[in-house]
Amino acid sequence: MAEFSALLTAKAEWKPHQIAKAGDLATLAAAATALAETVKSTLKLASAGMEVVKLLSALQNINPLLMALEALADEVLKQIQDLKEAGYWYLYVDPYYEGNVTPTQKYNYGFEQLRNKAGKRIWEIKDDSGNWTDTTNIPTLAQLNEEKAKPHYTSPRKLIPGGFDRDNPLQDPLRSSSDGGVSKFPTFNTKEVIKEFVKAFDDEGDVPRYKLLGAVSDAPKAGEVVYDDDGNAYIGWNPKIDFGLELFDLGKASENGSTIKNYVAARKALNSKQSVGKPNILGNTEFDGGSGAIAIIIAASDFQSFYDVFNQFSKMFSDIPEFASDTGKNLLDALTEIVTPNKVTVKLTQVDTKYQSFIVGDIIGGKIYNSIGEIVEIIDGSVTPTLMIGRKAVGDTDDEGNITSVMEDYNMNPVDRWIDMEVIVNPIRNIDGLNPWITGDMVLEMEKRGESGNPEIRDDVFPNYVFKGQDTTELPKASRIYPKVAIVSMEKLMVLPDSTPPDFGGIKIKDIVPGWGEFFQLLENFVLQLKGMISDSNAFIQDMIDMIKQVEEFLEYMIKLIDEFLKFFQITLPSQGVYALYIPNQNGGNKGIQDELSSATGIPPLGYAAGLLFVGTEGDKLIAGGGSKNPIDLLALVLGLL
Amino acid sequence: MAEENNWKEAELRRDDIKKLLENTKQLAEMYSEIIGIKKAGWENVLRSREKRAEKEKQNG
Repeated sequence: MAEFSALLTAKAEWKPHQIAKAGDLATLAAAATALAETVKSTLKLASAGMEVVKLLSALQNINPLLMALEALADEVLKQIQDLKEAGYWYLYVDPYYEGNVTPTQKYNYGFEQLRNKAGKRIWEIKDDSGNWTDTTNIPTLAQLNEEKAKPHYTSPRKLIPGGFDRDNPLQDPLRSSSDGGVSKFPTFNTKEVIKEFVKAFDDEGDVPRYKLLGAVSDAPKAGEVVYDDDGNAYIGWNPKIDFGLELFDLGKASENGSTIKNYVAARKALNSKQSVGKPNILGNTEFDGGSGAIAIIIAASDFQSFYDVFNQFSKMFSDIPEFASDTGKNLLDALTEIVTPNKVTVKLTQVDTKYQSFIVGDIIGGKIYNSIGEIVEIIDGSVTPTLMIGRKAVGDTDDEGNITSVMEDYNMNPVDRWIDMEVIVNPIRNIDGLNPWITGDMVLEMEKRGESGNPEIRDDVFPNYVFKGQDTTELPKASRIYPKVAIVSMEKLMVLPDSTPPDFGGIKIKDIVPGWGEFFQLLENFVLQLKGMISDSNAFIQDMIDMIKQVEEFLEYMIKLIDEFLKFFQITLPSQGVYALYIPNQNGGNKGIQDELSSATGIPPLGYAAGLLFVGTEGDKLIAGGGSKNPIDLLALVLGLL
Repeated sequence: MAEENNWKEAELRRDDIKKLLENTKQLAEMYSEIIGIKKAGWENVLRSREKRAEKEKQNG
């Protein structure tokens, strides 16, 4: 229940994004840049070195190859530059991880009502003689109001999520989730994601804010002319006020050909960005100019499918910080924990063997804290008699016949009726989430009574577990069914399982790639050192050959790694579960995007959804192959939406 | 315009990353080829030096 508690006050925030500037991709881009630049500088040395190896017949063909290599290095550098220059705003709408929106809670707490083996609720009906009898026939509202019928609660009464709902007594809380029944996973549907997208443009306070850099006394005085990034002049400056755009002390008008020849080189930034704010042009969020958007929604009708698509999606967009694998516990980890929680070791004490000991496969539940799980292993050697020492008064008669009472310890478990054991438990999600195993809580054997979820969707049906024999507690002792029972001694901390490759946790570009630049730099220095000595010593030439062999091995290793990553990026994300809306550059500004988002149709109302919205504003330069001035069109191109 | 821009199930790609990886791979392959040629050249230099030294030795 804890993982959704922090979601109530959150809201989605706009953030800036530049391809190749974040996450694994940024590391790759940085390394590719280092490699390309080093290759370019070592090419000169390569040509110089070739003078010495004239004997080689292949020398005739080396020049075209060197030229091609240099051209390729230039292309890599240009591509990275282009990617870095294309900037966007992005908005991530996420109900499931440090959620910035609130998913719907689909359960109420109520007293647990008994159910028969098929899961039908048991009611008590009063007959004409005033006797109460059990039935699974649902009474009428009038019968309930006249107290001629009532739910047959468990005894003792127990408050549970999805229990009897006084406000809606006739409908079963465990009815299909598509009909409003309880759901194990909080829902946030596609319409709600779109609503968040649209709403994010309306937040009046969500504007970019720039704060003064340094002391007020060092800044231009209030009323002085200041300049924007493009060198345009502004009046109204006050060093004590936050503004919506980056400002400088010098601009186009400051150039005088003598002391200030280039305002860009000479200027000093007056403020720095404190918050990004919603999409804007030079701080103006109400602009009418060109803007475009790409909205992506990951959605599914059941949580497992949502998780599967999200898994693929997050790997493909690992350059979005929220999806990056190197920021500790990421989004996918959080979802994985919801779908497949880690096993826990629970130390049980006072397992009462009179009602049998627990075995692998038993479903157990905590009586007070609603934890549920399946025993998957009983740890070897952990089963020992429970040490139960009692104190009792013992009469002691002395030689004179006086009886005195003394207190003595005694073994309360002489025939080993109670035992301790450590069990590994696969936690099962309750309707209110995963609940912990709390020391002192009573643990009882559970059994299935009915199901929750949506029976029309595969993987969205979950057993409803109740304490075994809870429908017999009011019967005579001989007819009662007693569940296996124990007390939680403590929960042991478990070491987290290793990640399963291939994933970005298994093979991290950032761990491998940064060495590239350094490696080639080393080579360059080596060649430089040798340059003056090569003709003097055979030993140095041999060193050079050995070094080149090492470089060859390294390159081979690097190519193999790139192939590993290419395997992933060569696939396309399956369309099932991913919905995209591309709004090409239009002249209506943010309002235009809002209107397009609100009016677009074609997305089904699926229950589990998260969304990513990119917004780009029109700039001065032509990009995307010269066809647009809005980087959003470049993004559409590389994502395959065009 | 609103009629044209509707939600669609999309097969998303990351051609930007793919292209960057492919180019970097090609860069590594070509560089590997060049230093391979260079290595062969140095090996030739070394062999000819050794031959020359051997001849000089034989000739006294």
